[in-house]
Amino acid sequence: MSETLLEAHGLTVRYPEGEVALKDVTFSVETPSFMAIIGPNGSGKSTLLKTALGLLRPISGSIRLLGHDSTRESAAIRRLVRYVPQRDRIELTVPIKVKDIVLMGRLLKKRPPRIASRTDKRIAHEALQRVNMDEFWDHPFNELSGGQRQRVLVARALAAEGPVLMLDEPLAGTDAESQRLIVQVLGEYHTENDVNIIMVTHDLNPIHSYVDNVLLLRRTVIGLGKPCDVMDPALLTQVYGHSARVVEYAGHRYCVTRDTGVDRHHD
Amino acid sequence: MIEGLLSLLSSPIVSRAIIGALLIAVVASTSGTLLVFRGLSFMTSGVAHAALGGAALGLYLQYTGIAPWFDPILGALLFSTLVAMITGYAGETGISQKMEVAVGVSFALSMSIAVFLMYYIPPTQVPQIWGYLIGDILLLDNLDLVLLGGTAVLLVLLFIVFHKEFIYVSVDMEGSIAHGLSARAYHYLMLITSSLAIALATKAVGAILVYAIMVAPAAASNEVVRSVRGVVVSVFIIAVLSELAGLAASFTVNASPSAIAGIIAAMSYVVAMHIKKVREHANSDLDELELAVPGHEYGHGGEMGERDSSGGDESTRVVSEEPV
Ligand SMILES: Nc1ncnc2c1ncn2[C@@H]1O[C@H](COP(=O)(O)OP(=O)(O)O)[C@@H](O)[C@H]1O
Ligand SMILES: [Mg+2]
Repeated sequence: MSETLLEAHGLTVRYPEGEVALKDVTFSVETPSFMAIIGPNGSGKSTLLKTALGLLRPISGSIRLLGHDSTRESAAIRRLVRYVPQRDRIELTVPIKVKDIVLMGRLLKKRPPRIASRTDKRIAHEALQRVNMDEFWDHPFNELSGGQRQRVLVARALAAEGPVLMLDEPLAGTDAESQRLIVQVLGEYHTENDVNIIMVTHDLNPIHSYVDNVLLLRRTVIGLGKPCDVMDPALLTQVYGHSARVVEYAGHRYCVTRDTGVDRHHD
Repeated sequence: MIEGLLSLLSSPIVSRAIIGALLIAVVASTSGTLLVFRGLSFMTSGVAHAALGGAALGLYLQYTGIAPWFDPILGALLFSTLVAMITGYAGETGISQKMEVAVGVSFALSMSIAVFLMYYIPPTQVPQIWGYLIGDILLLDNLDLVLLGGTAVLLVLLFIVFHKEFIYVSVDMEGSIAHGLSARAYHYLMLITSSLAIALATKAVGAILVYAIMVAPAAASNEVVRSVRGVVVSVFIIAVLSELAGLAASFTVNASPSAIAGIIAAMSYVVAMHIKKVREHANSDLDELELAVPGHEYGHGGEMGERDSSGGDESTRVVSEEPV
C-alpha cells in the first residue's frame, strides 16, 4: 500500500513584506519516491520546502508530508526529515570540523548533552566514505571547496535518521566531479534504503535518470510527471521562457536552458 | 625587589584586580567567542553602552526619589537585556544585517538617555556613570567580584552543557530548526546571558575594556585557530595576557591598565590578520603546486607545514579530539 509523500492543496505562501511566492499550489506524490522540484530562480522551490517543514506558514491552503500537516504537526515532520538547506544558509564563520557537521544530523535528534556514541561516529564515517570525504574527518568545514562542503552536507543527511531526505540545491556551486558523485550517491541510497528523497534543483539533466517524479514549479505547478514527460518543450518554455530547448541524445531527453546560475535569496 | 613584588601582589587591590581579570577572560572566552561565531560581536558595544544608559536611569530614579530602591546596576541589567532582546528579535531568522541596525539604534537610544539624564543627576553622582564607560580594574569591590564570579560560573556551565546547540544555531539555524531543535530558545538564551555578563563586566571594568576584551581576542582567534575548542582556549590566553600586561604596565609606568590591555588586545587582531594573510599566501602557492600534480586533493597535507610557518602561536595547535 502506498502512502502520500508530499501533498499540497491550494497552497499559497507570501513573505511578510514580499510578494506571493507560491500561489494555489496543488499536487500529490506517492511514496516511495525520488522527487525533483525544478524551476528557475525565484520560482518558489525553497519556499515550498520551507513551508513543508513548517518554517513558513501558508496564508491559505495546506501541505502535508507523509500525512502530517505542516502547520499543526511540524514537530512530527521534523522527526521524519533530514534537511540540507540552500548553501547560502550555512554560516562559515565557525571553525566547526567536518565530523561535527556530519554528526550534527544525528545529534540534533537526541536530547542534550547530545553525546556522540560509537555507533554515531561509525555511521558518520560511513556517510563520509560514501561521498569520498572521510579523509577530511578532522578538517575545518569552512576551509573546504564549495563542492566538498556540499558533499559533507549530503553526508550529514545520509548519516541522520528519518524516512525523508530534503535537499535544497545540493548541486549548486559544485564542481562536475562532486555533482556526479552526489547524484550517484543519492540515487543509490534511495534504491538501497527505504527512504524518499525530495531534491530541489535548477537543472534536471544531471539527475533525470534517477528521479521518479519531477515537479515543475513557477509560483504554481506547471507540470508533474516522469522525467521524460516533463521534458516537454511546451512545458519547459512555460517555466524557463523561449530559451529552453529539449535535445535527445542516446535515448535520453536533455533540457537546455540559459538558466544555469545559482539560486540566490533576496533577503 | 622581589619582596616589593610580593607585597604588591598580596595587596587586596591587586589581588582583586587579578581575579577580576581572570573572570573577564572567562566571560570573553565563552560569551565573546559565541558572539563572534554568531556574527554578533558588534552587539557587545551596544549592550555595554545600554548598561551605561540603564545605570543613569537608576541613579536618576534614586536621586529624584521616584524609586529609591532602584539600584543603578538594576537599570544596567534591564537595559542590557532589552538591547539583547531587540537584537535577538531582529535576528531571529539569523540575518545579521538586521541585528546590526537594531544594535545601532539601541546604542544611540541608551547613550542619549544617559546624557539626557545626566542633567538631572547631582554632579557628585555623574562620575559613577562615567565609571561605566571608562572603569578601572583597580577599583573593583567585593560585590563586583561576587557578581562577576557568579556570571562566569553560569556562563561556563551553560557553555559546557549547550555549546553544541549554540554552535548549531550559528552554523545552520534553518537546518537546526528543521531537525527539531528549539533554535529560538537557544538563540535567546545565548543573547540574554551574554548581555547580563557584559553589563556586570561593564560595571566592574568599564565599557571600553569590556569591548576590547570581549571582541578583539575572539575575532583574532577565529581568524587563525582551526577548531572551536582552540578558539575558546586561545581567547582566554590572549585576554588574560593583555589584562595582566595592562596591570603590570600600570605599576611600572603611570598608565591606565584598561587602556594598555585594550591596545594589546586590539594588537592581537592585527597580528592574527597578518598570520592569516601569510597563510593564505602559502595556500595559494600550494594550490599552484597541486595543480601540477594531478590527483592530489585540495588543501590536504599542506596544513602542517603551513601551520608551522605561521609562527609559534601555541594556541593554534590545540586540536580537539572530541566533537565540538
Ligand atoms: N525571506 C524572504 N523575504 C521576502 N521574499 C522572499 C524571501 N525569500 C524568498 N523570497 C521571494 O520569494 C520568491 C521565491 O523564492 P524562493 O522560494 O527562494 O525561490 P527559489 O528557491 O525557487 O529560487 C522570490 O520572488 C523571492 O524573491
Ligand atoms: Mg532556492
